[in-house]
Amino acid sequence: MRVTEGMKYSQVLSNLANITSQHAKAAQEASTGVRVGKPSDDPIAAAELARLSASSSQTKAHLSTIDAVRGDAELTESTLSDASDVMARLKEIALQGANGELTAEDRKTLGIEVAGLKDTLLKLGNVRGTRGYLFSGSQVTTAAFDPAGAFQGDDTAHVVQIGNSTPTAVSTSGAEAFVVAGGRDIFADVQSLATALSTDNIAAIRQSIDDVGASQTQLVNARARSGLVLSKLDTSQSVLSSLDTEQQKRAQTEGAADPYESYTRVTSLGQSLERAIAVSKQILDLGGSNRF
Amino acid sequence: MSSLSQLLYTARDSLTAQSYGLSVTGQNITNVNTPGYVKRDPLLETLALGTATTGSVTATGLRRATDVYIERRELSARGSAAAASEQDKQLASVEALFNDLGATGMGQAIDGLFSSFSALAANPNDPTSRGAVLGAASAFADRANSIANSLTDSKNELLKQAQETAAEINKRAQSIAQLNQRIVQAETQGEDAADLKDQRNNLLLGLSELVDVRTIPDNKGSIIVQASGTTLVEGTEARSLSVDLHADGSLKLMSTSVGGAGSSTEVTQFLTGGKLAGIKEARDVDLFDVSSRFDKLVFDVANAVNTQHAAGFGQDGVTGRNLFDVGGVPTDAARNIRLGAAVAGNPAAVAAASDALTLPGGSGNAVALADVFNTPLSGGRNAAETYGDIVGSIGQKKSALAQSVETQQAIKEQVQAMREAVSGVSLDEEMVSLTKYQRAYEAAGRVLATVDELMQDLINRVGR
Repeated sequence: MRVTEGMKYSQVLSNLANITSQHAKAAQEASTGVRVGKPSDDPIAAAELARLSASSSQTKAHLSTIDAVRGDAELTESTLSDASDVMARLKEIALQGANGELTAEDRKTLGIEVAGLKDTLLKLGNVRGTRGYLFSGSQVTTAAFDPAGAFQGDDTAHVVQIGNSTPTAVSTSGAEAFVVAGGRDIFADVQSLATALSTDNIAAIRQSIDDVGASQTQLVNARARSGLVLSKLDTSQSVLSSLDTEQQKRAQTEGAADPYESYTRVTSLGQSLERAIAVSKQILDLGGSNRF
Repeated sequence: MSSLSQLLYTARDSLTAQSYGLSVTGQNITNVNTPGYVKRDPLLETLALGTATTGSVTATGLRRATDVYIERRELSARGSAAAASEQDKQLASVEALFNDLGATGMGQAIDGLFSSFSALAANPNDPTSRGAVLGAASAFADRANSIANSLTDSKNELLKQAQETAAEINKRAQSIAQLNQRIVQAETQGEDAADLKDQRNNLLLGLSELVDVRTIPDNKGSIIVQASGTTLVEGTEARSLSVDLHADGSLKLMSTSVGGAGSSTEVTQFLTGGKLAGIKEARDVDLFDVSSRFDKLVFDVANAVNTQHAAGFGQDGVTGRNLFDVGGVPTDAARNIRLGAAVAGNPAAVAAASDALTLPGGSGNAVALADVFNTPLSGGRNAAETYGDIVGSIGQKKSALAQSVETQQAIKEQVQAMREAVSGVSLDEEMVSLTKYQRAYEAAGRVLATVDELMQDLINRVGR
């Protein structure tokens, strides 16, 4: 085959362009640590990365939701805890009031304390979180209980998505915690106790001991349910955090360059480039004008 | 039998012939880097004088070292390489629009919309969360508009490029027709047309990168040029190509005789190579495919969100409102999608509650809206999966094209090397030729000197 000047230059140019291009790509990969910078670098990995990004975004959104609702869930749990404490004190007062040695005046004084504790319970029932009134169901802008203790909210649970399973209820029903939907109307029981104490009605006071006890149990049960919500949030957060880490690892595996492999390739291609330059010089020197 | 004077003429002829050889060698050396230049070989023959042998030499002209089959293969290889390269270049800009890895795609907008519904469910009565939903929906629509507009701009730009390419093809076809005429004239008058043929060859090489080209030589030095199934140049006549649009928006390539006097013929289906074919493939296949898939995705997501949103209730107790205005068909959905007029600027209209009785704190519909992104769309895959499929298919096509460009480039280089091997200038060969003609010239000079000496000697002897 005849070898012409044009062939020599074309060959040198083509070889150098080819190796330089490969070297530049390898150098970029090694310096950025990114193997898949655009879909055509690895179409399957790029499609997977797009799906992973969506999954990761969902995971982060669920984690954000947990952060957003956790405050209210904790406040619910502590409020119900405080309400249980109030109920414990009310039960003590009822027991004390049932003592035959107390005078009518003493019971009246206890009745005043009970009325105060009823106000405290009302305040606890109408506590507000970031979403609005905690125990009003979906009626978050309306106080859960009126001054007489009548429930003004609804029984709609606050549901959120904190995973790919069914939506999770993260609120506690005010109706179930404080009024008859849970079995006892706590405010009515407290009012009965206050009335019995102020009217010095020992039989009614004795009856109230059981009623207040049942009301306390109702609040303890509600608190337990709110504790379960918190526990569910914790579990979900833990699972989602692990999932998030796993998704990041997978994205790293799919899209990131192996530092050792890419550095080795840069070095190897660098050497090839040096050799190609040396050979090119030789090829071009052979065609020097000194032959004439 | 030769006389001394005849020998003088022989030496003279040899000096002329070797000078011609040196001159042709000089031309070859001079044009070693001239694109399209075809190496010339001087044609030397013994000079016959009637039936007598004179032993003299004459230069009868020169020969262009060409191989018509290799030249045809080069035209074809250049056409295929140019088509692949153009298509690859155009697809690279489409790939950039869907490159979520470079934060330019639609993925973030889809994720943002999902996240906004999720955040709304956490606090349905919060005006900020409601505003964030409208912001994310607006960002989704804006991003879809931006990508769709870029795709439309690309289509328009490619139409313009195709029209400019057709104009350039016509210009070159005219020049080839003119050169055909000059070559036929030159050869008819017995002149050397090698330079004109080089020029025509150069034009053909350039033309082959614009459109698929086939050449058929005739016996007068002229060539017929066929492009995209039509005869573009025949003798001194050139037809013109023009680019228009079909009713469906795809490119239409028409062939018309110059001046438009003859009939126009559509030749689109015969277009197989060159930049024009690359533009057509990129525009009418790649861009249309991506556009329609993207429109379908946007249309399906918007409709799924609208259906769920319309089922819910805004804080004002109103139901049945769409979050997006997207039109009734997928065509141009990505370009036309807007934030719904019924909700724009009105965060209270965002339907977070699934029941009017659960207002204002009900989150059931917000949860259902977030769940839309996990629900299969019309293609059986959810939004993120469908988007991932689009990204993956663009990547696969671009990757396959990049490989095709490499293959076509390698084929082109191989054929170019074959042509160079036949038609290229080798300075080594020219150095040998230079020496060969130089030595022959010196030897002819020596013959001349020897004859001169002999004649001097003869004259001296006769004169004594």
